[in-house]
Amino acid sequence: MTQFLAILRDSFREAVDGFVIYAMLGLSALTILIVGSMSFTPVAPQEAMGKIASRFSIIVPERGRSRSVSFGTSGEFKASDVTTAGSGYKLRLTVTGHAEKKSTDDGKTVPDLTNGDSFRSAVAQWIGKSGQSMSIDPSGKASKKGGGGKNVEVSMPTQPTAEEQRAVTTAQMEEFLVNQFAMQGGMTATVKRITDGVAEPTYAFDVTTAGGSGVRGWPHKVEIFFGAVNISDEAPLGMVLWGIEDQIINGMGAGVALLISIIMTAFFVPNMIRKGSVDLLISKPIGRTPLLVYKYIGGLTFIFLVSTVTVGGIWLAIALRSGFWDPTFLVLIPVLTFTFAILYSISVMVGVLTRSPIVAMLATMGSMFFFWIAGFAKRWADSKRNDNEVGSTPEWLFMVIDTINTIMPRYKDLDTITSKLIADGTLTPAETRMVGLASLEYPSGIETFGVSLAFIAVMLAIACWKFKRRDS
Amino acid sequence: MSVIETRELRKTYGRIQALKGVSLRVEKGQIYGLLGQNGAGKTTLIKILLGITQLTDGDARLLDAPAGNTAVRARVGYLPEDHQFPGYHSAYSLMDFYGQLYGVSRGDRRQKIPATLELVGIAGRMHSKIKTYSKGMKQRLGIAQALLHDPDVIFLDEPTDGVDPVGRKEIRALMATLKDRGHTIFLNSHLLGEVELICDRVAILQRGELVREGTIAELTAQKGVFELGLAPSQAFPEHEAKALGYPVRALNPTATLWEVGLTDGQTIDPLVRMLVEKGLSLRHLVEKKVTLEDVFMSVVEGAEPGTDRRERKATAVGGSDR
Repeated sequence: MTQFLAILRDSFREAVDGFVIYAMLGLSALTILIVGSMSFTPVAPQEAMGKIASRFSIIVPERGRSRSVSFGTSGEFKASDVTTAGSGYKLRLTVTGHAEKKSTDDGKTVPDLTNGDSFRSAVAQWIGKSGQSMSIDPSGKASKKGGGGKNVEVSMPTQPTAEEQRAVTTAQMEEFLVNQFAMQGGMTATVKRITDGVAEPTYAFDVTTAGGSGVRGWPHKVEIFFGAVNISDEAPLGMVLWGIEDQIINGMGAGVALLISIIMTAFFVPNMIRKGSVDLLISKPIGRTPLLVYKYIGGLTFIFLVSTVTVGGIWLAIALRSGFWDPTFLVLIPVLTFTFAILYSISVMVGVLTRSPIVAMLATMGSMFFFWIAGFAKRWADSKRNDNEVGSTPEWLFMVIDTINTIMPRYKDLDTITSKLIADGTLTPAETRMVGLASLEYPSGIETFGVSLAFIAVMLAIACWKFKRRDS
Repeated sequence: MSVIETRELRKTYGRIQALKGVSLRVEKGQIYGLLGQNGAGKTTLIKILLGITQLTDGDARLLDAPAGNTAVRARVGYLPEDHQFPGYHSAYSLMDFYGQLYGVSRGDRRQKIPATLELVGIAGRMHSKIKTYSKGMKQRLGIAQALLHDPDVIFLDEPTDGVDPVGRKEIRALMATLKDRGHTIFLNSHLLGEVELICDRVAILQRGELVREGTIAELTAQKGVFELGLAPSQAFPEHEAKALGYPVRALNPTATLWEVGLTDGQTIDPLVRMLVEKGLSLRHLVEKKVTLEDVFMSVVEGAEPGTDRRERKATAVGGSDR
């Protein structure tokens, strides 16, 4: 244990030697400062509730369980008389629906409440199954159902029959609205319909919410650089935080951190085993295998240090500035470290085989790119098979993709897990669907981590075998 | 019990035979010097003993355990040739790191590190980064790290390399002190004068073979040749000496010093008796010796200057210091 800690400390000392780590930490500090300069001011309750209610026309069928969304014409939702109540608010929600139309004998269409109205239709759609779905990819292109990547699944509205609309009960209306407050606002609510003095197709409900203005769906005025630049007047809090955490930090930031870490740590093992250095270490009472494994673990301290400072700092800045204390973002620290552990095992193996930091660096970057492509290829293949669109694609191509996916570390899956976790921690359920993350399943944790760990073990085993056999 | 013992030790690197059946023994408390040209196999021998390089054939034991035994290395200190310390360490932090690898307790490290660095004369800079050190300072640090854990055996590969003459003298004194304390020192060096001054026993490796081994006195003795001088103004009886069968020759133009050889079975005693009987006063009589350098040069005479050139043919001979 003493030897392990000694090598860990030595690796840490090596990592913090030189300007790159300080440049990275400086960059982290700058990012933290920029995030810290952001202000999140909740929009006033009356206006905020109106904004939240205006999103209620987006329906998630199957009582909110579907992965697709449907854009209905449920009517106009209006919040009024918003007052503070405990930790939340009390308000009156009025829905002004439109009567369904019927055709007259002379070929005209006129409103006819006996056929139902837009609100009842929306509730019936919410209760019913999703219609045929189409997938919209991140570039906005529509395709048929399914598809890989972060696609938004949009369900074609199905028109409920007059009977189905008439069958909608008050309890179901209340349940729909409770679900909408959760889906669109990220808040819990109790809803009670008011019928006195309210005639259909207008509906009124007394609503009591919990969670205050700090809930993820609450519109916020967002400014940056200590109020110098306005970003948005009414962006949902969770959506803004998701943008920072997932799009900026987990997307660009993590990529940059990984690349710099690969470059920095590619020197560690070749430096250790170079002539003149290695003799000093292996003449000490420590086996070569523990020495290399400890050195490998020590190399991980580099990315761990950078990601802990950056992610931890940003998380703290966000929490302090927005009051949103969601710890999910911190999962990026271990996931990023684990992702780097996969890449660093390649670097160590190539470093031992070639003693060249440049070759180790290039091989690791090449592998990173390859894993990324392999992840996309796997999704593409799965989507083709799910949609029965295999067509003329040769079977061997699927076999190759599946084989590569089986034996290679699940680099892309780790990214998916992080993205999903961050989204679950920041976005409302409806927003998760709107950014296309609902269509992605959580990859199997055991498989993702198991295969990746096995890969790391194989890389290190090759490196140790070679290191043990080598005459220095 | 021998501290170091090798029997018919062989090492080949591909087609190159670095060691060709080397057998030697080093006893406890000795300073043992290993001499040889570049590529003679000196460093390879040390590396095999420490487990840094694997032997090809034969047997090598260190502190009564097979060479390369991890636990035994805790009782061994090693200064490699051409060592490169990580530049991000200071002398103190490096010693602390190595001390932990050796299992030296924190308290001992705190006490011993400054003391050891003081011993080699760099305590004043112990908190400076190593990358700012001169070659001599790095060499001193190398010696210090080999001594930190109070090892039983210390391997020093060219310990005075890059050290100035004063520093060399200090290092020799340090080795003498370590010997007095019971440490065994195995020394590789090109500096023959230095080896002659401090080593108890010396071995000479030539192209992977042990060609000479013994004490300094044994190696430098030149049996059968005496240097002789009489009192001033007395003439040496050259003809009588030759008549007794001694080959003689004057060593200087004034013929005050003479070299007397012994033929088979002869001793110097009859000549001394003759001189006394003739009433001559003997003022100088020593058995003539050669220097270690003479011995070394006679061994390697005819060899190429340096044998670390890789030979291409299958019948390659000679070793390589790796």
